[in-house]
Amino acid sequence: MKILEVNALVKDFGGLRAIDTLDLVIEQGQILGLIGPNGAGKSTAFNCIAGVYPPSKGDIIFSGKKINGWKPWNLCKNGLARTFQIVKPFSSKSVLYNVMVGSFVNTDKKDVAEEKALKVLNSLHFEDKKDIKAGNLTIADRKRLEIARALATEPKLLLLDEVMAGLRPAEIDELVQIIQNLRDSGITIFLIEHIMRAIMALSDRIVVIHFGKKIAEGIPEKVASDENVIKAYLGDEYVVS
Amino acid sequence: MTHQNIKKFSLALVGIIAFVLPLVLRSPTYLHILVLLYFYAYLTTSWNLVGGFAGVLPLGHAAFVGIGAYTSTILFLQYGISPWIGMIVGSILATIVGVLIGLPTLKMRGAYFALATIAFSEGVRVMIENIDFLGPFKLNGPRGLLIPPLNTGLANFLFVGKEPYYYIILIMLIMALAFTYFISRSKLGYYLNAGGEEPEAAMALGVNVARAKLIAMAMSCFLTALAGTFYAQFTLYIHPRSIISLDLSFEIAFIALIGGRGSIAGPVLGALLLRPVSDFSRIYFGATLPGLHLVIFGVVLVLVMIYQPRGLQEPLTRAFNKLLDRFAVKTTMEDKK
Repeated sequence: MKILEVNALVKDFGGLRAIDTLDLVIEQGQILGLIGPNGAGKSTAFNCIAGVYPPSKGDIIFSGKKINGWKPWNLCKNGLARTFQIVKPFSSKSVLYNVMVGSFVNTDKKDVAEEKALKVLNSLHFEDKKDIKAGNLTIADRKRLEIARALATEPKLLLLDEVMAGLRPAEIDELVQIIQNLRDSGITIFLIEHIMRAIMALSDRIVVIHFGKKIAEGIPEKVASDENVIKAYLGDEYVVS
Repeated sequence: MTHQNIKKFSLALVGIIAFVLPLVLRSPTYLHILVLLYFYAYLTTSWNLVGGFAGVLPLGHAAFVGIGAYTSTILFLQYGISPWIGMIVGSILATIVGVLIGLPTLKMRGAYFALATIAFSEGVRVMIENIDFLGPFKLNGPRGLLIPPLNTGLANFLFVGKEPYYYIILIMLIMALAFTYFISRSKLGYYLNAGGEEPEAAMALGVNVARAKLIAMAMSCFLTALAGTFYAQFTLYIHPRSIISLDLSFEIAFIALIGGRGSIAGPVLGALLLRPVSDFSRIYFGATLPGLHLVIFGVVLVLVMIYQPRGLQEPLTRAFNKLLDRFAVKTTMEDKK
C-alpha cells in the first residue's frame, strides 16, 4: 500500500526552481532514503510534504488524501510527523515537557499525555534525562529529542531530516538501531541523510536528487554505482567507464 | 513535613495574612496603596496569559482596562445597571475587540506586535478623548466620567471605606492566579509555551499556534476588562488619560518583565517590588521629582534584564527551594530521633 505519493511536484522560489517535477512513492512500512549534494532541494521537498511550503505544481497524496496546502498541525494530527535539520527544542523546558507537547495531539488530558511521553522516552532509552532542560542537552540528545517529540504524536509516516549530522560514529550506530526498531514497530520512514554508512544500511530504496530533479532511484547498491550519482557527487572525471 | 506540605502551608499563611491585614492596618493611605498593588498584580497576571505564556509583548492592555471601565460606568450612570453586570458586559466587549485586534496582529513577531498594540490603544484613547457622544452613550470626551458616590452598597459596587474594595480585588487576584495556574498546566499552556518559544517546531507537532495565541488573547482581554470596572468603582472618576494611558500599559509590562514573564508568581512579585517604589516616590518626591518612579523602573529593568533575564522569580524560587531543603532535612532528622 502506498502511504505517500508525490506526483510531478514543482516548487519555485521566485525565478528559482528548487524542485523540478519530482515523483516519489513510499510503500507502507518501508524506509526511503533521499540523498543529493548540498542545495539539491532535499529539505525543500520535505518542507513541501510537511506543509511548510505549498507546492507550486503537482500533487502530494498521503494515505489516500490529497494534502496540497494542508497546514503542518493538521498533517501532524493525521499521522505525518517530522524532525528539523536545525534542531528546534523548546530550550527553557524539560525534555519531558518537550515530548508532552507532541503527545497532546491525540488527547486533552495532561495525565494521558505524560504517560505517553514517558513511554516514548523509555523506548528511546531517554527516560533518565526527562527532567533536564532541553537547552542543556548535547547535540546528540537534541537530535534524539527531535525524534522523541515527533514519535509522541503517533505518526504513520515520519520524516527525518538529517538526524545523524554532527554525531559521533557510536551515536550514529545507536540511532541506526533506533530507526530500525521504529520501522519494525510499523512506522514508515522517509529520511534525508548525508552519512552514507547509515543510509546504505537503513534504506530499502534510495532516491537521489540533484538541482531539484530526480537523477536515480533504486536499491542502495544500485544507486551507489549509478553513473549519474557519481557525477553529481564527485564530478565527471570520476566515472569509471 | 515534605516540600509539598511546606509549600502549601506557606501559601496558606500568605493568604491568611492578606485577609487579616485590613484588620491590623487601619490607615486608609496604606490600604489604598495595597489595593493598587493588588490591582496591578491582577492586571499583570491577566496580561501574563498572552504576554508571558504566548511569548508576545502586548503593550496596549490599557485599552481593555478602558473598555471595561467605560462600559460599566456608562451602563451604570445612564441606565442604572449594576456595575457587576456592566463588568461582564464590558469584559465580553473587550474580548470581542481583543480577538478582532489579535486576528491580524498576533501573526506579527517581536517588536511589530508590540508597536501594533501601542498604536491600537493610543487610537482608542484619542477617539474617546474626542467623542462626547457615541450614539446614545455619553463618553464626555477628555473630561471623563464621574460616578457620584450615592446609594452605596454591594449591589451598586460602591462602598464608603476601602476595606470592601480591598477584599474584592484580593479575591479577583486569587481567582486570576488560580486560573493562570490551571491554564499553565493544561494542554493550552503547553501549546502556548511551545508556540511562543519555537513556533515552527510547535506547528510540526500539531499545534495551531495562531489559534492558541488568539484564545489566550481573548481570556487575557476578558480578565483585564474586569479590572477596569473595579478601577472605575474604586476611584469614582475615569478619564481617557488616567485609564487608557500608555503609562499603565508600560507599567504592566515593567512589572511582568521584572517579576518574571510566563511564571505564576512573577506578576505578584513584580507588583510587590515596584508598586511601593512608585507610590512612595510619588509621596516623597512628587513635588520635586515627578516621574522619578519611571526612572527607577527603567534602571531596575536594565539591571534585571542583564543579570536575571527570566525575571526575579527565578533566583527567589531557587532561594525558597534551598530554604525548603534545609527545613525538610531538619524535620526528617528529627523524625528519626
